[in-house]
Amino acid sequence: MINNKNPDCYRRFMFWCCVGLLVSLFFNIPSARAANRIVTVGVYENAPKIFMSESGKPAGIFVDVIEHIARNEAWHIRYVPGTWIEGLNRLAKGEIDLMPDVAYTAGRAQSYSFHKVPVLSSWFQVYACKGSNIKSILDLRGKRITVLEHSVQEEAFSNLATGFDLFATLIPTPDYKNIFELVASGKADAAITNRFYGVMHAQRYGLEDTKVVFHPTLLFFAASQNTPQQLLDTIDNHILNLKSDPESAYYGSLKRWTSEEVPFKLPGWIKTLGWVMGVVLFMSIFGSIFLKHQVNERTHELRKINQEMEQRIVQRTAELATAMEKAQTADRIKSSFLATMSHELRTPLNSIIGFTGLILRERAGPLNDEQKKQLKMVQNSSRHLLALINDILDISKIEAGQLQLVYDNIDLCQMIDKVVQSTQPLADDKGLELGVDISPDVGTMVGDARRTEQILLNLLSNAIKFTETGSVRIICESDESRVAFKVADTGIGIKDDDIKTIFDSFRQVDSAISRKYEGTGLGLTISRKLVELMGGNVWVTSVWGAGSTFGFCLPKERTET
Amino acid sequence: MKRKILVIEDNEQNLYLIRFILEDGGYEVLSAKDGREGVEMAATRLPDLILLDIQLPDMDGYTTARALRENADLNRTPIVAVTSYAMPGDREKALASGFSGYIEKPIDPDTFEAQVSQYIAAKNRQRSRP
Repeated sequence: MINNKNPDCYRRFMFWCCVGLLVSLFFNIPSARAANRIVTVGVYENAPKIFMSESGKPAGIFVDVIEHIARNEAWHIRYVPGTWIEGLNRLAKGEIDLMPDVAYTAGRAQSYSFHKVPVLSSWFQVYACKGSNIKSILDLRGKRITVLEHSVQEEAFSNLATGFDLFATLIPTPDYKNIFELVASGKADAAITNRFYGVMHAQRYGLEDTKVVFHPTLLFFAASQNTPQQLLDTIDNHILNLKSDPESAYYGSLKRWTSEEVPFKLPGWIKTLGWVMGVVLFMSIFGSIFLKHQVNERTHELRKINQEMEQRIVQRTAELATAMEKAQTADRIKSSFLATMSHELRTPLNSIIGFTGLILRERAGPLNDEQKKQLKMVQNSSRHLLALINDILDISKIEAGQLQLVYDNIDLCQMIDKVVQSTQPLADDKGLELGVDISPDVGTMVGDARRTEQILLNLLSNAIKFTETGSVRIICESDESRVAFKVADTGIGIKDDDIKTIFDSFRQVDSAISRKYEGTGLGLTISRKLVELMGGNVWVTSVWGAGSTFGFCLPKERTET
Repeated sequence: MKRKILVIEDNEQNLYLIRFILEDGGYEVLSAKDGREGVEMAATRLPDLILLDIQLPDMDGYTTARALRENADLNRTPIVAVTSYAMPGDREKALASGFSGYIEKPIDPDTFEAQVSQYIAAKNRQRSRP
């Protein structure tokens, strides 16, 4: 167990004794775990079984196993990195306690101790460049094959080659590290590694596994010969336990390190598709970002426009309110102007017409014929002036929307009689027949009596005015909803061209005629406006030289217009 | 005894015309140039009829009519508006202010006297009732 002749081992033993003594003074540690012992373990490149990870820490299946045991046994593991050969040398010299991943051979058993339960079983496999077409060991004839120096596989392959009587150049390498690179760079045709390393690394170098598999091996921690048997037994116990539990750290480690990366080669079209999709995706992302940017910008613009609009609306509303106020003021001024004008114009006319009438009746004294004749002219002119003023005021009122209709029940027969009576003298003067034709079912209507009368009177006096011989007839008929009035004469008639404008202001046809037939020229306009105001309409039919018929109809009931 | 008619009118020509027609018709005509004078005169002379212009200086016809109606002695005296006001609602406004009737200007010498006598007759009919 302890070789006293070996000063190193002796020193180590003494050291451990001291350490164990000190630790047991401080901690009440069970004697089964006699000491917090340090176990030195060699590390070399043989991933995934044992290797230095990129972060500089030892890793691999053997590390996982020894760490697991160390945790349970309160060992402290110290790793000593180096190449495979260096590791073996150190182990032989007793500089390290354990060397991971060593295949048991009778030869090695001479130099090292082995525990009994293998950590892994493995075999060797030949790896070559893709398409090398190596299908059997015979295909290796004459090839340059790289292999780990002083390894079991070197020896095994040499034996195998000899057995098959085949010659191949072996290129020994101290480490797995560069073994595949030699093949990938063309310095060797094939490489022999254990299956663990091959599975893990061949893909990376563009190598593939060949069908050449040989020499199954059992892999152990090899121990220096002065390692206590107790330590080896402990390792065996743990490995047994680990292997018996499918959930153990051992299987976890195997799964972690050996799960083969499934080499999956994408078909070309999928790659292309991927590229296309990538480009499309990129473009759509870029596009959506661009669009979003634009939308944001536009939104901002719209918001700004909206604000401006709102401001403008507020401003316009204020302006409108002011304008409306102005309009209302103007309206009031107009209204009061109309009232004032009406009064101011009529007041002097009142005395002109009044006094002329008085003098003509000779109440103030007798008149001679010439005086009478001239005063008659004054009277006619002043009456005409009054009619004009009244008409203009009517039109102004209608256009200013200030003419208010007074609705009442109208007895149509009575009203027509009244109008006929007032115009009878005019007709009689000219020797015209004045006929009335009221259909018996006419009855009453709801309307503005004064204004309806005004329209009828206007049409009737117009008809009489423009008829020299014959007759003037007033016709009234009704249906369920409307009453129609017609005034037909046998007068001069109206030319077709003039009919269109007959209802417009100051449109007395032919100025010569207008001089002959005195009138304001506003009667028809007012009549039309009044009829429309009452919800009816006017019309005229005429034959030049033969007579005209003016008509209007009104709703029987009040309508809101 | 002659019927007394009070004419409240600020226009001299119109007043002259009305006075001429009515005096010719056998009425006694009293006159006032504005509403205040008219109200005072009406209170002292108790006319049978008051002809009142609407547009008067200071106190307009509507106000004057209401003032006249406040005097219990004039409660039944017809007050007739004689006016060239012809805007919508004028007639209604006049009647609402206590006027008994409405004669539109310009007055017609032939019919004016007859219109006036109708109002006096109407008043007499009222008075003759028990």
